Amino acid sequence: MTNLKLESLVPAYVREFEPYIPSKPDEELKKLYGCKVLYRLNNNENPLGPPPGAQEVIHGFTPPRGAVYPSGDSFYLRRAIGEMHGIDPDSVIVGNGANEVIAFVVKAFCQRGDNILTADKTFAVYEWVATFSGIEARLVPLKDERFDDQAMLARVDDHTKVLFICNPNNPTGTYWNQDTLRKFLDALDGRHMVVVDEAYFEFVEKDDYPNGISLMKDYSNLIVFRTFSKMYGIAGLRIGYLAAHPAVADMIRRTCVVYSVNSIAQEAALACLGDQSGHIERTRALVKESRAYLCEELARLKLPVIANEGNYLIAKLPGSDTLAYRKLMREGVMIRPMTGFRFPNHIRITLAKMEAMQAFVTALKKILGA
Amino acid sequence: MMKYSPDDRLSLKITAVMDYLPAVMQCVETASIFFGLGRDESLKMRLATEEIFSYLCSRVCRGYPLEIICQGCLSHARVEFHFSVSSLDMGALNITTVVPVQNNVCVTEVGLEVGLIIASRIIDRLNIRTDTQNHVVLSIEQDKSYPVISAHVKTMDIQGELTVEIPDQERIRRFALQLGAADGDPLRPAFFNYPGKVADMVTAGHCFALIAWDASGNIAGGMLYRPLTDKIIEIFSPCVFFEPRRDEISTLLLEECLLKTAKTKTQGLVSLTGLPLLLQPQFEKLGDLTYRRESGSTLVSSAFCRLLHEDPGCQIWTHPTMKDYLEEEYGRLFLARDIHLVQHLGDTKKGESIFGAEMHRERSEVIFRPLWPGDDFSKNLNRHLDLCRKESLNNIFFILDLGVHWHAFLAPSLIKEGFVPKMIIPFAGQADLVLLQYDKFEA
Repeated sequence: MTNLKLESLVPAYVREFEPYIPSKPDEELKKLYGCKVLYRLNNNENPLGPPPGAQEVIHGFTPPRGAVYPSGDSFYLRRAIGEMHGIDPDSVIVGNGANEVIAFVVKAFCQRGDNILTADKTFAVYEWVATFSGIEARLVPLKDERFDDQAMLARVDDHTKVLFICNPNNPTGTYWNQDTLRKFLDALDGRHMVVVDEAYFEFVEKDDYPNGISLMKDYSNLIVFRTFSKMYGIAGLRIGYLAAHPAVADMIRRTCVVYSVNSIAQEAALACLGDQSGHIERTRALVKESRAYLCEELARLKLPVIANEGNYLIAKLPGSDTLAYRKLMREGVMIRPMTGFRFPNHIRITLAKMEAMQAFVTALKKILGA
Repeated sequence: MMKYSPDDRLSLKITAVMDYLPAVMQCVETASIFFGLGRDESLKMRLATEEIFSYLCSRVCRGYPLEIICQGCLSHARVEFHFSVSSLDMGALNITTVVPVQNNVCVTEVGLEVGLIIASRIIDRLNIRTDTQNHVVLSIEQDKSYPVISAHVKTMDIQGELTVEIPDQERIRRFALQLGAADGDPLRPAFFNYPGKVADMVTAGHCFALIAWDASGNIAGGMLYRPLTDKIIEIFSPCVFFEPRRDEISTLLLEECLLKTAKTKTQGLVSLTGLPLLLQPQFEKLGDLTYRRESGSTLVSSAFCRLLHEDPGCQIWTHPTMKDYLEEEYGRLFLARDIHLVQHLGDTKKGESIFGAEMHRERSEVIFRPLWPGDDFSKNLNRHLDLCRKESLNNIFFILDLGVHWHAFLAPSLIKEGFVPKMIIPFAGQADLVLLQYDKFEA
């Protein structure tokens, strides 16, 4: 066998990066932890699944179509998204999940010596993509569990290319209102790109919550992310998109891998956009009911809770969150331990159906000896 | 003052023949002086190198390529001998190896001591590791000599909000001074007593420090941690210099340590030297180790662990002898493991086994690890135990990697000879490690 010297072939920033290890398939986890059922409350999935129209698309996908390449640039879907938001379809880039469009943006704007800015306690993928691309990720501490606009502005320098704002923030559920977001964009004055990740957009009902896409006409440096994985329940198909000024989108498109979004995902997403069945309202009602129930139960257990927008909340435990994860797995409940989000001793729970919420509360009481 | 760079190293590529001995010794001694060791310490490195090089040339890899790398690590100097060895000659790397006293007869009881054990007595640490393709790295380390600073450090009144951060050079030195002057926990490592050494270890990146200070810059406490393995960090209990706010300071330091390590490749934090009661609920107890001091008294130390991520579960291998222990421990720790039993298939195993020996003479401690399988495991184990008795090493540990199939076959001999499984250290090897401690000392 040849003597492969990976050290000289792989950049240090890749060698040093620890790959994310996704959890095993449910059946393997059930075997490992010896549980008969497994309530998945770790990934903020929608327990109602996709809207009926998208379900029909999935059922109706005929096997011979598996041999045919999808639309390389999600032609029909971009057109529908453009129509829905009143923007040029060329302002839209569809990716294999929102994670892929994060990589597109970093590749398009950053080179060695540049930096990106985001919060220390937010969705981890902005930081990961920057780090394994050799780009510095500057992390600004949250203030009162929300992105700190002033502190972020203070960290900007000439090498800052992209600022990532998760709105509402995963995992704290806090958000910037329209006024804060506009002031932030005004302060940057178009000198840096601003990504507003609206993965949980459809869950927020507050009047002052901004629609980032509607602000794009005033700020050409604004890029907005949306996903079909959360509200629309097609996380398994991997599809999300970004919207940006056409000139910005044109630059980003140069870094895209075409054909990365499969046909079923494109068609199911199209059906999601056209849903008239009340899927969003049903999901919102379920989340609201579960949030109220869980907040009450956690208050009884005297556990501090951070519950704001989105289909999740986080609770602080008296001890290790990773130990709680393992104990809860034995009870058939999978939550997200939050040390990896820099929230030691916290767990994040997806707001799901009541049966799952009750199973979680029962298991939590058992492991806490309450 | 020499500017430290972790890339500073001196490398010598030669053939393992005795003709090179004077050059090798001179090179190691000169490099040791250049890397900051004093005259006495550099001489020790020279003498240990003489023993090792002579031994390699005569018994292990004579005539084959050998690379010698000298490295300065600020607090110590290190020399590594890199070579490949045929599996037939592997046995010669056991620290217990003796030379035959008669032709063709190896009489271990009366044999002459050779290079490795002599070298291990001269310098502070000796270690051997192997990887695939029979590549061996034999390393020796000698610490710099540091003065003990016993100057009284005035206790500061800590006021207001505290900042916890990675310190600059000046704060590291101040912290190290306060640390050295603080009342010592008997289990804390010896380097805590040498402020200069602490500062050098942190500067060199062999140890990390977090320090808490108030608005006036007064140091309220600090915490040290360092890599134990690729995926596990060893933490030392927070040191607090302001008693009235002990709980707050300890908690802040631990929390910052978790934040600093949460998004690294670290899978978990391990404390092998105990934790204050306040912090213990945030950890899982792994077990107790009993340390025997030279005086004959014993000291019990509890070990703790905290994982930083979800447990992905894994497969582990064990001999039936240890199955019950492992099942009970994994159940207690709520770790998901697919436990596979190994069994002898009657296949022939040839050759001599080899153990790596990590010696810490200042603690009268030796840690053995299996490096190579062989058909003489029990005999080899007894030879190593005899050596420990002879060398008055009172704290004898054996580590098995539960992710390595053949390690599992060693358990029956270890238990028969008096080793007791003390704890599992999750994710510290290819899978988890099990640490066994020798517990059959004569009264």
